[in-house]
Amino acid sequence: MKELSELEFPETIRYTEDHEWAAVDGDTVRIGVSDYAQDQLGDIVYVEMPEVGDMFEKGDEFGTLESVKAVSELYLPMGGEVVAVNELLLETPELINQEPYGSWIVEIRPTDPAEYDELMNAEDYIEMLRG
Amino acid sequence: MDEPRTTALHAWHLEQRANMARFGLYDMPLWYPAGAKAEHLAVIEAAGIFDTSHMAVIGVQGVGARDLLQFCFTKDLQRCLGKDKGPLVAGRCVYGIFLQPDGTVIDDAIVYQLGKNDYMVVVNAGMGGIVAAHLDSRKKDASVTIVDYTDRLGKMDIQGPLAAKILKKILAVPEEVFAGMGYFSCKGGFAELQSPVAVSLLNGTPLLISRTGYTGEFGFELFIAGEHFVSLWQTVLAAGEGFGLLPCGLAARDSLRAGAVLPLSHQDIGPWKFAHNPWPFALPWQEGARTFSKDFLGAAALLNDTSSEYTLPFAGYDLRKITVGKDTFVTDLRGDTIGQVLTCATDMAIGRVGEKIVSVATPVAEGRSEDFKPRGLCCGFVKVRKSLAVGEQVILTDGKRKIKVEIREDIRPHRSARRPITAML
Repeated sequence: MKELSELEFPETIRYTEDHEWAAVDGDTVRIGVSDYAQDQLGDIVYVEMPEVGDMFEKGDEFGTLESVKAVSELYLPMGGEVVAVNELLLETPELINQEPYGSWIVEIRPTDPAEYDELMNAEDYIEMLRG
Repeated sequence: MDEPRTTALHAWHLEQRANMARFGLYDMPLWYPAGAKAEHLAVIEAAGIFDTSHMAVIGVQGVGARDLLQFCFTKDLQRCLGKDKGPLVAGRCVYGIFLQPDGTVIDDAIVYQLGKNDYMVVVNAGMGGIVAAHLDSRKKDASVTIVDYTDRLGKMDIQGPLAAKILKKILAVPEEVFAGMGYFSCKGGFAELQSPVAVSLLNGTPLLISRTGYTGEFGFELFIAGEHFVSLWQTVLAAGEGFGLLPCGLAARDSLRAGAVLPLSHQDIGPWKFAHNPWPFALPWQEGARTFSKDFLGAAALLNDTSSEYTLPFAGYDLRKITVGKDTFVTDLRGDTIGQVLTCATDMAIGRVGEKIVSVATPVAEGRSEDFKPRGLCCGFVKVRKSLAVGEQVILTDGKRKIKVEIREDIRPHRSARRPITAML
């Protein structure tokens, strides 16, 4: 298990209590899971993703991550419509272990872009992980 | 929770950045940085070593030792070896169960005969004291001594087709050790645990080696005095360089044993009757009859069993699994609940080719394509209220996720555990 100091938490993106991250990219937001989450889960072997066009509220379950350890639900940090899913992860889910911040899972067009500002910044997220 | 117990390798596990978790009373590695999938595959294609010092070892010695074990342990020690059902002898070991009088499981175990009146019993983590007390309560006189060696010795499992090649580099006289070393036999010993043949490392340290394991693959369990344990671990790892040997954690151990249809005690067997399950070989059934070849604790309860709970192995159609919890259950295809999920793991070395399950170890001639890349299949055990035939389908569900799986007789094909040792050197 890595020490917190060995994990990466980019300051340019936001985080949730459930260990998802959200990154603004123009008028859409990409969603993935944090370095902490992938380290805890171990080898990620399967990603279940929604369909493009699916609508979700903030906090809705939008998919599952399956690791050698467990099946974990993915919760959407912001409400919106799915505009893309990262199909690369269907064949190579281990990319999430290798590059947790490069491996976005879904891209959404947020219903309320202001919800982004309610998410934790890196400093607050690290503080939460420290407990 | 109390402070967890640790094995002598705890500091090493942390230094290696293993992901640790509580298992029974112990803080144990789940996987190392290579990851559980790489560890699982290493054991099937090369070799892996597991710190299994959390398991407990009990010595049972004295003139009454055999009779006591014959009464408390399910295997018939007079009729258990080979096709001809010969008696257990020094240098051999057998798998069986310690039952309560009502036929429910205390623990599963391997019983080793080391000398005429000298036995070693290996049980699960945290069970040393419980099984020792159970045996003590059943002994008829003072002619049996029961010693709980929990936390006093070290045990590691080296598993995988290259295990003997690696051990060959570190044993003093490997030819003697491996000569005639069949499945479920043992040699060597140390301190009070001594089989007829001595085995030592190149540096002279004595150890006990048995051709057993919990992965379904070829390999050995090594027992050694506590003070030599960490150095033996380092020696094995160094000898394994160039062979693809990986240290492996409990996640790989769990997925390997599930694919090999081996039960996890207190999960797949436990406080319910040891009946209608995939492990009838642990019981002394008379061939072709509904009777046992000996009387033992729990025998009557099993023979008079009227319960209708069936423990059955299953495999899925892809690697999706469910996390077993109190809200997970098994339904038939109509959606009616018929039982519970005991184990659900992913064997990452297998995949389906049509109806058939193929492993990375399956020969090309037997159905593996040259470019077979295993995606893994979910597998494990269900306990259901009605008998199901092999090939029948059921649904595993946690309320949200539904996974269709098939009742199987066996799961991972082409396992190496029983290969002749001469083919592995």
